[in-house]
Amino acid sequence: MSNKRKVIDYTYQIITYLAAFVAVGTLSLIFMFVFSNGYKLLNIGLIVNDYHATFYNGALEENIEFSTTTRPTSLDSETYYSKKWGLGLKDDFDREGNSIIIVDYIASDSPLLAMYNKNNEEFTELIVFKEGQLVSKIAYFDKSTSLTRTGAEIMIYDLDSSESVREIVYSSLGGGIRGSIITTFYLIAITIAIALPIGIFTAIYLNEFAHKNRITTILRSLIEVLTGVPSIIFGLMGLAVFVPLTIKLTQADSANIISGSLTLAVILLPVIIRATEESLKVVPDTLRESSLALGANKTQTTFKVVLPSAIPGILTATLLAIGRVIGESAALIFAIGTAVKDDISIFGKSTSLSVHIWSMMKDEPANIELASTIAIIILMIVLLLNITIKLISKRFIRELG
Amino acid sequence: MINKVFEINNLDLFYGDFQALKGINIDIENNKVTALIGPSGCGKSTFLRSLNRMNDLIDICHITGNIEFEEMDIYESGYDVINLRTKVGMVFQKPNPFPMSIYDNVAYGPRCQGIKDKKVLNKIVESSLKSAAIYEEVKDRIKDNALSLSGGQQQRLCIARAIAMKPEVILMDEPTSALDPIATLKIEELINDLKDEYTIVIVTHNMQQAARISDYTAFFLMGELIEMGETNKIFTQPTHQKTEDYITGRFG
Amino acid sequence: MEIVRKVNNKFLKIKNKNKKEKIDIVVNLFFLISTIISASFIIIIIVFISVKGIIPFITDNNGIGSVNIFKFLTGDVWLSGTAFKSNLYSVGFIIVNTLYIALLSLLLSLPVGVLTALFIAKVAPKKIAEFLRTVIELLASIPSIVYGLFGSGVILVFVYNFADILGIQSKGGNSVMATVMVLALMTLPTITAISEVSIRSVGKDIEHGSLALGATKTQTNFKVILSSAKSGIFASAILGIGRALGEATAVSLVAGNAKSGPTLAFFETTSTLTSTMLEGLKETTGIDYDIRFSVGIVLMVVILLTNIILNYIKKKVGNVDVK
Repeated sequence: MSNKRKVIDYTYQIITYLAAFVAVGTLSLIFMFVFSNGYKLLNIGLIVNDYHATFYNGALEENIEFSTTTRPTSLDSETYYSKKWGLGLKDDFDREGNSIIIVDYIASDSPLLAMYNKNNEEFTELIVFKEGQLVSKIAYFDKSTSLTRTGAEIMIYDLDSSESVREIVYSSLGGGIRGSIITTFYLIAITIAIALPIGIFTAIYLNEFAHKNRITTILRSLIEVLTGVPSIIFGLMGLAVFVPLTIKLTQADSANIISGSLTLAVILLPVIIRATEESLKVVPDTLRESSLALGANKTQTTFKVVLPSAIPGILTATLLAIGRVIGESAALIFAIGTAVKDDISIFGKSTSLSVHIWSMMKDEPANIELASTIAIIILMIVLLLNITIKLISKRFIRELG
Repeated sequence: MINKVFEINNLDLFYGDFQALKGINIDIENNKVTALIGPSGCGKSTFLRSLNRMNDLIDICHITGNIEFEEMDIYESGYDVINLRTKVGMVFQKPNPFPMSIYDNVAYGPRCQGIKDKKVLNKIVESSLKSAAIYEEVKDRIKDNALSLSGGQQQRLCIARAIAMKPEVILMDEPTSALDPIATLKIEELINDLKDEYTIVIVTHNMQQAARISDYTAFFLMGELIEMGETNKIFTQPTHQKTEDYITGRFG
Repeated sequence: MEIVRKVNNKFLKIKNKNKKEKIDIVVNLFFLISTIISASFIIIIIVFISVKGIIPFITDNNGIGSVNIFKFLTGDVWLSGTAFKSNLYSVGFIIVNTLYIALLSLLLSLPVGVLTALFIAKVAPKKIAEFLRTVIELLASIPSIVYGLFGSGVILVFVYNFADILGIQSKGGNSVMATVMVLALMTLPTITAISEVSIRSVGKDIEHGSLALGATKTQTNFKVILSSAKSGIFASAILGIGRALGEATAVSLVAGNAKSGPTLAFFETTSTLTSTMLEGLKETTGIDYDIRFSVGIVLMVVILLTNIILNYIKKKVGNVDVK
């Protein structure tokens, strides 16, 4: 081999290696980025908390019974404790990175547990004051107010040296994604419930019942065209068709989870139809023939012989569909809106996890940490779905082979 | 008792423009084994499949002439195809058990007819497996997947599956072509036993097999029925030159 | 014997039924209806979006006058005048931007993707190939919003700093370059996966034929195998460009949403048809809302035309079909 030829050969080879390296390298960067940004916020609180903080203005009755609980040894050194009020406070940061003062401990005989809601003075109802909440302001009758920016140490000092309190403003933590998680589950359930039967029936019709004629060809190509339509267009359709339809038929008065699910169902139809058809095609014709030769009709043959063999394929289709629902953003922005909600109703607006990310990133300033944390959750689910699909298809291949 | 199960008159069969069967006239006799022989593509399998209307599954296939089963034209509109297929069973070239248990395979047909009574089903399954001479081999693992059986066993299971419907006729489309010689022998013995109760029509590539097991033989060539008669006669003194050529192995 | 008679009786009764064929007809009809429903959605999409999208052109939009369709398709400013008071919308420059960005992203992702596919299919050892295949499959299933997040967290910063080194002040990195990179990354797994399949299915005989003529493995890969897999590679490019044209949320996070154009410079902000549809969506009504449907029509037409043209080229170029 000539030298020149060798050089050219190596150059090409190096280019190939480089390309593969670049592709895999850049793509693993995505994972690294998402994890390094998001892991800090990943905890149970995030998943179960509301997104919107609720604020309370608490005040105390005239005669205060002070606490006698001494500082528990379990508290860490950064917590400041007032024995008199039975309250431990700590400096912390919230999910947007702002400094906050958090309630770390409340003694069971703390007078603060008997606060009533100041905003609602006619009914002297008690309000819940518990660990994990944020204290943003403590006002006194006889001295200046202590605020978040004074820090936990001074706040506790002021409190400990007081005999009474005019008002305590505190709130829940907020920034949680419970609402979006619930919405995502609703979307998955409703979408699958709509798209799966229609998709499977269509696949059965096209593969088992349809005659090879022009009408079938037209029906089939109409369905195939759907695959090439970008999801934002589906979103527009959801907005133009399903939103008004659901407003008319249900109690909804705006875009809602049902209109979102219907839109997603249309997006998923071609996916489900194709995956189901693929698995129906694998079922050998002799099985159909021998079932028919035994006097079974087409319906019996389809449901008793063909469909059971196609179940792994249908399962795969379902998992693919779930992945698509979790990942879809553009269509849902139009079909159920972008308002992050805590009280989820299927007749109202809310956001799925993906749209939640988009909402966070479109805010000024963008909240990359929270968005990354949600992305971790999404990636985990997608990863899990993929592994399951692989296992199913492996088993399926083994059984057939 | 009717002596003729099938009576076929002037049967023409087309796949689109292509004529696969030309003017077939044939009678199938009760409780006999009729073998259909001929080179590949001569139409013998097509003919077999028209007896239980399995050709209906092919869109472009159409038929003229008539096939009478028990003195009824089976291609007449309104004729109950599914009923026909319960009476005319079929065994295919390759063993093709359903991917279910042995029991469920045999019970499949009766269940499709709406039989749900467990006791009745058990009885049917047992007697069918016995008739197909496979009962002894599988009785301990009747709930096993049918695909775990060997090829020969699978084919006998398929025969049992057909028998479970209590058909009057069993059509067999080269039932032994995918099997080894020992399994083939077992199936042939089985066919011999079955002919007391059933009418059997078998397509075969193997002329010795036709000679061994059949009472009548029909020779097909290029979509035409060349000759039909008692097996002994066909194999010893055929009337047609073409038949003789084929049997003695000069072509095909 | 009793039981045998029972069996026979049952069979006799059943054999005279014709009910099962009737069931078949009903079931068939039911499935047919499902199929018609599935097939009707594309028609619903086209009809509804067209009807809604045409409204700004044919009504007077509550007194501010109808939108001029010629100006809409050719103009170089998204909205002249104030929102809700002007009818001077146009997407001409956005169409150019969209095509320009999709093309550039394909120029980036196609070579890398195809070479990666070649590496997986022909060069890499079996175990590594299997691993890479799984990685690519996983990456293909990552939702686009995550690519968008990565784009705004990493690529924007990278582009901003890169521009800074060149002495260019970019708007926080929001630019043509960032958009192209995000889209290239997003389409890379798709292109790789499909190209890999078509490269793998090139017959051994072709490969051996080349090797027998004294070509090296690398020469064979580049000269014979890639050209034999041409039609599959082209198909992956068509799919990739389709995805690049239609992607919305990821693009909207990095494009910068330019209101006029077209933008050809790499470090300037840009806008695509999809990002325009999403912009300011939360706080708008009336014509400013309806015009998004008109943009939707334009997007569908652009995708359709691109597909037709690419498929035509594919037919011309890919006449050596291996399948």
